[in-house]
Amino acid sequence: MSLLDHKPARFAVGLVAPALLLAWWQWQASRGGSNAVAFASLSTVGGAARELIVNGTLLADAAATLQRAFTGLGIGATLGIALGIAMAMWPLLDRLLGPLLNALRQVPMIGWLPLIGLWFGSDEGSELIVICLSAFFPAMLNAHAGVAQVERRYLEVGQIYGFSASQRFRRILLPAAMPMLLTGLTQSLAFAWIAAIAAELLMGASVGLGVTMQQAQTQQRLDIILVTIAVTAAIGFAINQLVYRIRSSLLAWQAPAQ
Amino acid sequence: MATAPASFLPSGSRRPGFKLGPLPQALVPPLALFAVWQLACLTGLFPEQVLVPPSTVARTLARLAASGELERDVGVSLRRLLVGFGAGALTGLAFGAATALSRWTEAALWPLFLLLWQVPVIAFLPVLVLFFGIDETFKITIVALATFFPVALATFDGIKSVPRAWFEVAQVYRTRLPDLLWRILVPATVPAILTGLRVAITRAWVVLVAGELLAADSGIGQLMETGRQLFQIDVVLAGVITSGVIGFLLDRCARALEARATRWKDA
Repeated sequence: MSLLDHKPARFAVGLVAPALLLAWWQWQASRGGSNAVAFASLSTVGGAARELIVNGTLLADAAATLQRAFTGLGIGATLGIALGIAMAMWPLLDRLLGPLLNALRQVPMIGWLPLIGLWFGSDEGSELIVICLSAFFPAMLNAHAGVAQVERRYLEVGQIYGFSASQRFRRILLPAAMPMLLTGLTQSLAFAWIAAIAAELLMGASVGLGVTMQQAQTQQRLDIILVTIAVTAAIGFAINQLVYRIRSSLLAWQAPAQ
Repeated sequence: MATAPASFLPSGSRRPGFKLGPLPQALVPPLALFAVWQLACLTGLFPEQVLVPPSTVARTLARLAASGELERDVGVSLRRLLVGFGAGALTGLAFGAATALSRWTEAALWPLFLLLWQVPVIAFLPVLVLFFGIDETFKITIVALATFFPVALATFDGIKSVPRAWFEVAQVYRTRLPDLLWRILVPATVPAILTGLRVAITRAWVVLVAGELLAADSGIGQLMETGRQLFQIDVVLAGVITSGVIGFLLDRCARALEARATRWKDA
């Protein structure tokens, strides 16, 4: 038996490295001089956090970024799932649109930013388009794959029962494709969240966590940047946990994986 | 039934298109896109200020290539990618291996890793700009960061999924550490690590372009950003296409390497 078999001990060991990191950071900050700009002391970061919470900036930013990400996700993923399913069901559509989408997919989403900025200006609409684009592709690819991989014999059984097209869709294709649809949605959500931060950071319109980060960078306020990063990470983590829970409860009818 | 040349099958469901001759097939989608685009411009649906036809973009690309501007920007970007990727991959491998092989390092370092992993790499851009200014260090560091996380994770998972029994067999045979590393651990973990490296290089490319858009004096991202500020749609589009082609080629090369290195698995 080693010390590491005890949960509290294991947890304490895990705290050592972050604590050392913080101590080193604080030491750098206290050395003053040019270090003071690069390393904001912990009390400064704490002060910035309090300031941003009290004047409501942090809450407003987080809400704005979340809203942007989820709006983009709603539009992008809905279109993606609809198109993915349609392309899997009608090969003609697949052949018409597949090549086009495949070519567009090669460009990194960030690469579209300057072009979209030029076409639609650097405002709310452009940011939303980038987020929609990021959410669109994972949803479409997985929806397409999910429906395309439905086992033939399920469909044959449906045929024997004389299912109509809508019955076939609702009672066979949709449930069978559900795991892949959810995988796509999960990926879309992660992409939409990152795209929201990136778009805000690079376009900097109105309010949002990325906007505040970008402004803090030009004002050399590392303390504010660190606070927004921490909030970004916390929200990202919370979203992941939430999605994981929803996914397992939605797929509870399936045999547990492995 | 013959499959459509550019059918939209998920990449995982089929082995990377090697036997079919990857190039001609890969060329179909972009060519179709260019055809649609050129037609859209010929109909006069879009004014010149909004969308220039691919023929104009091709001319711009040729001009940029002839003046050496394109070569310089692409060269600068690729050099940053290579240096940053190398540094990030090596540290990621070392970190992943160190945390997976010893319970103590795992308990001590993995929680911190998971904590930092929650932050989208792009969110580190402003911090790094403050730390390093907008010099090369900043761009190489962001690439290294974007590489480090997926590689460390893949290495960790790869080593962790080696069956315990293999280690026990090695113990019975009193295998020495170098042999354990080279004859058991490396072959068993190579597939997972290669996948990690492939994911890492495509992400690193995206993050580098973002970094160059945000702050740079050269590189493909900066070319696009300048084009945007001067309202040169053809230059922006040339940059979009170039970054797309490079991203595509990086992914393809990595997939080819992966398929080659893991061929023994199918045998």
